[in-house]
Amino acid sequence: MKLSKNLVALAASAVMALTAPSFAEDWAPDGPLTIEIGFGAGGSTDTMGRVLAEVMKENTGWNIVVENKPGGGGVAMFTGLSQRPADGKTIGMGVSIPVLVQLVQRGDQLPFNVDSFDYLGTIAKAELALVASKDAPFDDLEGMIAYAKEKGTLPVATMAPPQVLMMKQTKATTGAEFNLVTADGGAEVMKLILGGQVMAGFGSGEQFPYLESGDMKVIASANQSRLSYAPEAKTFIESGVNAYVDPVFFLAMKAGTDAEALKAISAAIDEATKAPAFAEIVQNAVKGAPINMGPEGAKQMMVDGLANAKILFAK
Amino acid sequence: MVDFSTMLAGFGDALSFLNLAFILFGVVLGQFVGAVPGIGPIMAMAIAIPFTFGLDPLPAIAFLVGVNKGGLVGGAVPAVLMNTPGTPDAAATAMDGYPLAKQGKPLKATKMALFSSITGDTFSDIVLITVSAPLAVLALKMGPIEVVALMIFAFSILAGLIGNSLAKGIISAAFGLLAASIGQDPENFTPRLIFGYWDLFDGLALPSVAIGMLAISEILHRLSEAHGNLRPAIIAKNTDNPDDSRVTWAEYWSCRVTMLRGAIIGTILGALPGIGSTAAAFMSYAMTKASSKDPGSFGKGNIHGIAASESANSAVVGANLIPLLTLGIPGSVGAALIISAFMIHGMQPGPLLFENQGRLVYGLFGAMIMANFVNLWVGQLGLRLWVKVVSAPESIIFSSALLLCFVGVSMATSGLFGVAIMLIFAIIGYLMTSFGYSLVIFIIAFFLGPRFEKSIAQSLALTNGDMTQVLKSPVAVALLILSVVSLVWFLRTNARVEDE
Repeated sequence: MKLSKNLVALAASAVMALTAPSFAEDWAPDGPLTIEIGFGAGGSTDTMGRVLAEVMKENTGWNIVVENKPGGGGVAMFTGLSQRPADGKTIGMGVSIPVLVQLVQRGDQLPFNVDSFDYLGTIAKAELALVASKDAPFDDLEGMIAYAKEKGTLPVATMAPPQVLMMKQTKATTGAEFNLVTADGGAEVMKLILGGQVMAGFGSGEQFPYLESGDMKVIASANQSRLSYAPEAKTFIESGVNAYVDPVFFLAMKAGTDAEALKAISAAIDEATKAPAFAEIVQNAVKGAPINMGPEGAKQMMVDGLANAKILFAK
Repeated sequence: MVDFSTMLAGFGDALSFLNLAFILFGVVLGQFVGAVPGIGPIMAMAIAIPFTFGLDPLPAIAFLVGVNKGGLVGGAVPAVLMNTPGTPDAAATAMDGYPLAKQGKPLKATKMALFSSITGDTFSDIVLITVSAPLAVLALKMGPIEVVALMIFAFSILAGLIGNSLAKGIISAAFGLLAASIGQDPENFTPRLIFGYWDLFDGLALPSVAIGMLAISEILHRLSEAHGNLRPAIIAKNTDNPDDSRVTWAEYWSCRVTMLRGAIIGTILGALPGIGSTAAAFMSYAMTKASSKDPGSFGKGNIHGIAASESANSAVVGANLIPLLTLGIPGSVGAALIISAFMIHGMQPGPLLFENQGRLVYGLFGAMIMANFVNLWVGQLGLRLWVKVVSAPESIIFSSALLLCFVGVSMATSGLFGVAIMLIFAIIGYLMTSFGYSLVIFIIAFFLGPRFEKSIAQSLALTNGDMTQVLKSPVAVALLILSVVSLVWFLRTNARVEDE
């Protein structure tokens, strides 16, 4: 009696599993699917990638392995990915800006370009802000520029080349001088601001606790649009400096991958980005909701990003 | 700030059965992976973090703290027993730990390492729990110029380790700095010395260089000396004197000044992001040796050498949490991993952490103290096991260690490229020791190099290249004067040791 009950339950669950609207029926990887993350273990890209893989695994039942391939902000990983066969087994996950910067600055030395990959989608966008201590005698970028002119120069902390170039663009447009200090990540930028060694600096989330405590204020958004958490702060573009960076976390495979595989994997990614567990991690990592632009949108983002990067980073 | 009942509730949380179980599990895992050459606690934490997603915040963080602390104790084990430090911060421990183990006192050497590690760790935990906020404010005032001065001071203290040839010491240091400059430059992000290998863009991976130089080159030396006869890797005991297998209270107490000095150095360097436990261990070792009445006995199995190194490198770990909890700034890779675990669990380290999550923070503090007790207890049991393990024939021990180094480095650097780098540095290390060049000087210069370069670049950017700006910072001036004083003092001590 008990056995038959179990059998009924088993059969019922099998039926339910089969009738569930699943894309996994059409295509499934033969063997494990690997997600290669272009950054080291423990960072925000790694954390989001691992949770994404976990959610995809639960949803699809596929065997998904996560590996870290750090180096050059994802360039080492994408170099490796571009040299592999397009067998639909390896997915690369990276951030758009560092890859685009390298493509513009030394594209001739790289074995890949934007067309070397089939894009699967995006998962989030990093919001980049210029922040200053609450005691700073300016509240927006125009005020900061005026103060820099008054003082002769102003120390600003950056963490990567795009931000250095944005500040150089600011100098070229307005004539204000800046002492640009390169810090080792956003946390060090915050330390330099709090310690009074610099007047302003860039943060991609590290400034959050200080905004909440009132120790810092947002001076400008370095993105194309305003920041979701500080909509009153103008962008660089609105302040008269024609420069922005929009770092997007995206996934891609070697170009020429089987269309069925691309369809199934991008659908699985899309489903995973809608899961509440994933949204929570993204919220913690980038202070925003997951954004999936889809395969077409991701490709367009890279093409447009390359055009923008050429303007900003051309030697 | 946080009221007393919240603190008590937090400490109480740490004592729940579930949390204690996770601390124990973390410590056992940490000691094990720390003791296996090539893997290390950082690697263990990076692997363990995704597994903590499903846990509540406190057990998750207690577990990671356990792994980190257990790893430090474990890291000293291969350094002392086999002269193959699994982590570079244990390299200073090997300098006296291994000679003592070779004298047939492996248990004494490892126990001294355990006790001084836990002493240093507890000291810095107490500093963290009681005075972290004012210390963090002081750390903020250490700008790039002061950090450059501090690192020059650190280099001057390391002169105490140079040994008999000043020229060879300087060559080792210069070579270390050269290796550190591989990869993108910190100012303009131009690739340097990468020869078309994009894997080198972020510089040589630390595990590859450290394990290649410190562990593999030593294994190569030992294997080259083996002549087919099955010698045990270490003789566990060759006397009947029970004092050779334990640390007496009198011995422990005689090291109190050494351990206190080590704990203070470790706590100060730990509170300043980016300098790290390796430099702390060597600075403490060099200062202890120079201030000893008998500096010639160091390197020959002096327990003060073990106590100096282990108290300092363990004190860094607790102190790393000072800038992390109060400012949200990780002081090391281990701390950066803990921060990402915090964020996964929705805690944002920074100025409001104590207010918003007071109970959880005090739960973490409670877990840290409990982890120290668990570490002591598990260590006491584990050390006997490790000493038994390395009593096996050395051809077996060293070949398995070699295999584990390969596995560990390929995991830590995600692939065979890191293993290739490890092998290259194993050969360089083998040649360097064969010709009498110091590996530890190389490693320290390699470790401090990137931070040193970055701080110099930052200082130059801030001052527009005007060196006289240094005079405006009294802290920097004081540190630079101290550097000159310590350089003269250490070189004279070295000369004195030579004369004996």
